[in-house]
Amino acid sequence: MNAESTGSLIAVLRQAVIDGQAKEAAAATERALAAGLAPRALVDEALIPAMDEAGRLFECGEFFVPELLVAARALKASQALITPLLAGSAAAAFGRIAIGTVKGDMHDIGKNLVVALLQGGGFEVIDLGADVPPERFVAAVAVDGADIVGLSALLTTTMLQMKATVQALEQAGVRGSAKVIVGGAPVTQRFADEIGADGFADNAAAAVALARRLMGRTA
Amino acid sequence: MTSRERVLTAMRRRQPDRPPFDLSFGFSTAQLETFRSRTGADDPYDYFEVDTRMVWPGPTRLTTDFSGYLGPLPPGTVVDEWGLAHVPTSSAEGDHAHLEGYRHPMLRLESEADAAGYPLPDIDAAYRYEPVREAIEDIHRRNLAAMAMLECTVFERAWYLRSMERLLLDFSDGNALATTLLDRITERRIAQAQHYARCGADVIAYGDDVGTQRGMLMSVQMWRTWLKPRLARTIAAARDVRPDVLVFYHSDGDVSAIIPDLIGIGVDILNPIQPECMDPVALKRAYGERLSFWGTIGTQSTFPFGSPDDVRREVRSRIDTVGAGGGLFLAPTHVIEPEVPFENIVAFVDTVKGEGR
Repeated sequence: MNAESTGSLIAVLRQAVIDGQAKEAAAATERALAAGLAPRALVDEALIPAMDEAGRLFECGEFFVPELLVAARALKASQALITPLLAGSAAAAFGRIAIGTVKGDMHDIGKNLVVALLQGGGFEVIDLGADVPPERFVAAVAVDGADIVGLSALLTTTMLQMKATVQALEQAGVRGSAKVIVGGAPVTQRFADEIGADGFADNAAAAVALARRLMGRTA
Repeated sequence: MTSRERVLTAMRRRQPDRPPFDLSFGFSTAQLETFRSRTGADDPYDYFEVDTRMVWPGPTRLTTDFSGYLGPLPPGTVVDEWGLAHVPTSSAEGDHAHLEGYRHPMLRLESEADAAGYPLPDIDAAYRYEPVREAIEDIHRRNLAAMAMLECTVFERAWYLRSMERLLLDFSDGNALATTLLDRITERRIAQAQHYARCGADVIAYGDDVGTQRGMLMSVQMWRTWLKPRLARTIAAARDVRPDVLVFYHSDGDVSAIIPDLIGIGVDILNPIQPECMDPVALKRAYGERLSFWGTIGTQSTFPFGSPDDVRREVRSRIDTVGAGGGLFLAPTHVIEPEVPFENIVAFVDTVKGEGR
């Protein structure tokens, strides 16, 4: 197989994910694997750049929530074929991140978008869901070895649970083992600084860039 | 001016004696308890003398069994007449709508026939509007303005049933299930809007949240395809009955991108104008001739985190700018959450009312 057709298979897969074409993404993945392309290369050269591009388009207002949802669905269709072929630890290229909506808050659409972009962006994501108590975040660091903890909240009421979660990590003696990042509509950089978080992002794409920076990667 | 005159004058963009006000979508449970213990009164709307009262349809006689759609549910779950299951959370404020979870009864449905067969409530039935007529007559006898609630008009009602992520995927895929679901909800909303207009409502409060604080939730094109025509039909239906009924439209977030469209289909009043992401003064400058503004005092910023002086300053600033020539109705931008200091609510009300003295 020559370099040109390899490049074109990668490009087709990348574009199918950006465009949210799940069937095309799965078909392109199958063709690429059948042509002998390494699973790792598909992740690094097609899937991660595709979700980065979807995130960039979201950040600059060309993509909206539905476009991110269909891109994430296409990503999953491709990952379903690739992930079983990757050796265990290689899946978590950039790090392991535990993410959830804080205690008392059921709003998870924003958090789910961040999860999709992180998964597409080369992170191993432990999605803790919504209404997550502080002790569950502590366990994610202490037991599951999360490098980053991501906290989401939609309400000023529940936003205050972020502080309680940071304090719980401190009291459990694991605050130094993981970075804490926060986001959600009412959350600001100032609030993040006040509660001693390591970072704040005001949208899903910026959250991925932030997580990479904290893991010592360039965004 | 009576409250009703004040609301009608201001919302038709003429100068009232002072801007009308209300307490938006009410108090969270903890806030209501604080109110009662601080004032000894029972009803904040009466106590603070807000200019409007809200009305909803009377109770249904249907007893639909949604268990086949919902499956097993956790203890404490309440299923409403649409079949949406309200699930308690770990929050002590779990009975407050923003702090509960949902189970969506149509999440796993697949076909257009599934959507056609789903048991929707009889929200369009005439018997449910007899108490509405009586309530509005009572509100008018008290010289207050009657606001008939048609919130979660089409989109939100549909996604409550289907789940937001699933419904947005349906829109992307052009799924006929979504078309059928939206059309069936729209038909009921049309009848509901007409009942409200016949009952004498001064304001019909439509609403579907389609904004995020960074802009539209979906593209303007998708909104125009799926939601705008249906919203337009529900508004036109009310106007067929009573051409001068005031049309209020609520969406959280920044919906600047669709304001000209909303005006074009007959919206008179935009709510809540979250100052955290929309500039009320710039909107007044751009659309003040054709649109009135209801809300503008931030429940995500000034109300919970400002001082009473901050609240007073924000209210006075809105009156001087957005209120010039009418077109301003002051209100918190959303439910007054538990952490809002009670003094800030008092400062809000006193400042607005003080303008009339």
